[in-house]
Amino acid sequence: MLSRLLPERNIHFTDDKLTWREAVTRVARPLVEAGDVTPEYVQAMLDSIAAGGTYIDLGHGIALAHARPEYGVVRTGIAMLRLREPAPLLDRPEHAVDLYFCFAAADADAHLRAMASLARILSDAPTRQALREAASASEVVKLITEFEESE
Amino acid sequence: MKFLAMCSTGLGSSFMVRMNIETVVRELGLADVTVEHSDISSAGPDSADVFFVAKDLEDTAQGLGDVVVLNSIIDMDELREAVKDAAARHGLL
Repeated sequence: MLSRLLPERNIHFTDDKLTWREAVTRVARPLVEAGDVTPEYVQAMLDSIAAGGTYIDLGHGIALAHARPEYGVVRTGIAMLRLREPAPLLDRPEHAVDLYFCFAAADADAHLRAMASLARILSDAPTRQALREAASASEVVKLITEFEESE
Repeated sequence: MKFLAMCSTGLGSSFMVRMNIETVVRELGLADVTVEHSDISSAGPDSADVFFVAKDLEDTAQGLGDVVVLNSIIDMDELREAVKDAAARHGLL
């Protein structure tokens, strides 16, 4: 499920020092380029974080940027960006995030299914740690595929 | 007994917390606990017996009653302790 929504081309790594706005824009880029979301969706995510939406901080340095389906999702998809240097949400040190996910669900049903599968994998401590340590897109995909096959 | 996971939109993190609470409730074998999720603005003191929120909604959730504030919504160890404590407070354990 998740392995289908998060293909290698949507997974990127960077050594650049980014602000949270740049990180959110960058993580969403593959989805925008593939036409999965419109640029308005990216703006909606930025606006919602700027309005105090640090709720996208899941803990353990992981954030899940998302907005509502009606704000510009064409096809359900997920993207991931791993930063070497954390880009703290709203520049607050307590929200240091170095693993950004962008989550775009085309409708409420797809939303719940994709969210459930992401929740299972991120709540599994060994897999979460392995995901943080992964150094390439193919490694990430392999991890996720193995996790889903083990379920 | 009702546990309610809440977030700003009722779409994202509250759903993740709800799933994880359900897992813990099953692990602990708690009977008669229902778990739901919603956005915080539509919840009132009568909506549930225990309310779970992430840190960012700590202030907003005050006044609802028995509120549990989570540092991380994907940390099962933290959640397990929080659910255990809540169950004990309400005489379920």
